[in-house]
Amino acid sequence: MSDQKLEKKVIVFCCNWQGFRTLERIGADRRTYSSMVYPLRLACLGRITPGIILKTFEKGAAGVYLAGCPESECRHQTGNQAAYQVFQESRALLKLLGYREEQLQFAFLGPDDGERFLLDLEIILTAGEPA
Amino acid sequence: MANTLREIIQKNRAWLCLDCGKCSSVCPITIHLADGYTSPRLLVEKALSSEEDLILTDPLLWSCLTCQRCSEICPSQVEFSELIQDVRVLAGEKGHSGSCTHSGMIQTWSRMMTDPELHQNRLDWIGPDLKVSQDSETVYFPGCLPYYQETFYGLDFEGLEIARSALKILNHLGLEPQVLENERCCGHDQYWQGDLETFHKLAGLNLDLLRESGAKRVITTCPECAYTLKYTYPEAAGQHNLEILHLVELLGEEEDWSNRKPGIAQNGLATYQDPCRLGRFEGVYQQPRDLIGRAGYQLIEMDHNRRSSICCGTSCWSTCGAGNKNIQNRRLSEARSTGAELLITTCLKCQIHLNCAQLGSDSSEPRIQIRDLITVLAELI
Repeated sequence: MSDQKLEKKVIVFCCNWQGFRTLERIGADRRTYSSMVYPLRLACLGRITPGIILKTFEKGAAGVYLAGCPESECRHQTGNQAAYQVFQESRALLKLLGYREEQLQFAFLGPDDGERFLLDLEIILTAGEPA
Repeated sequence: MANTLREIIQKNRAWLCLDCGKCSSVCPITIHLADGYTSPRLLVEKALSSEEDLILTDPLLWSCLTCQRCSEICPSQVEFSELIQDVRVLAGEKGHSGSCTHSGMIQTWSRMMTDPELHQNRLDWIGPDLKVSQDSETVYFPGCLPYYQETFYGLDFEGLEIARSALKILNHLGLEPQVLENERCCGHDQYWQGDLETFHKLAGLNLDLLRESGAKRVITTCPECAYTLKYTYPEAAGQHNLEILHLVELLGEEEDWSNRKPGIAQNGLATYQDPCRLGRFEGVYQQPRDLIGRAGYQLIEMDHNRRSSICCGTSCWSTCGAGNKNIQNRRLSEARSTGAELLITTCLKCQIHLNCAQLGSDSSEPRIQIRDLITVLAELI
């Protein structure tokens, strides 16, 4: 993926485990993504809240990506499911605030899902571009 | 720019404090604070000592519910809630703040609404059975209800049903109000938390929208919106010639509202929670009680009612802890001990907070159903 003209950042909240490993794997495979994408590692994606997601947009992010462990593989057992609920609630709130649905993405990612991550990222980057 | 402490004391009559302690005997925070001691009297004394740090670090500065229970009973008419609001502005400039709840989400979306370019999608709840128009002189102002719907759906919260019921009632009265697509949060919480910057932006945008709409009257279903638009906007944001009413005030004036519904069934016993803004702030006590009667309920008052009603325990989406839960549980016990099966209120925050305490409580007491008066009344149509 070529570097985008995007002026705003895309924040990736990923868990310390499989979510982050997916990103490391992408790097190890020498694949690249926009330099405006900033991964932030959390102990578990269950730590995310609608408040944090809204604040990310308030501060000017073009998009937010939530990367958790595959569905039954959360290190903290229920963190990825909790994060999924937060994702749904946040999407509903962002829709009310006039944001596009694509600007907030969620995925249960395993280390082999790098391709999926890059495709999802493309959707966010396109959605976040000024119309 | 905040007032100095000296100006705040003069403005809010704190120097007339008699040190009698009536405020402290009724303050719900003083009674239920989980650890430590604080009271309105003590805080006023600290303010009068002119030691700014003393007042800025008092736990009551941020836990005060601004419910006006203390001012109601004060022989010197010290405006304690307003004093707290002014000191919070001062404290905010020095970097102090209250503790946030719900991860600051509600304050964040209010700040996001200060964007003048914002295009919200907040009208999806208006179904084809509800009539609205673009040029009515009446505006229905649902406030943050569409947002609370998405946030508190798990709390037996009636949410947008309140807004739909309001439109249903207004349509029944022959009104097809405007509902504004880009209405902002009224800024009530920002004002009382001392965040005047956000408040002024929100108020300015709302006043512009209301001016553009050509409206002459605004009807709300939230006592805080009603109070803020009616009193705080002209005082702190900008004059307007709008008539502002909570829907129960409008229905209280409608003589033929009950005549249109002959033969109302008797529905049993209900009790009523006075919201602070509608009750002590605006003095609307009788209309909701009359309407509960017209809805076919026999009203049984709680021990603390009308002027001495107790706040639902949390305000401004800030500072919620064990003490606040104690206030809520005590209020719920009072409601249950009336023998009523239904607790009616006219404030969505009362409903959210009391339901939250009820669902989170390990008490073996039976749960009491909590509903908004507006949805109860809409069932009559």
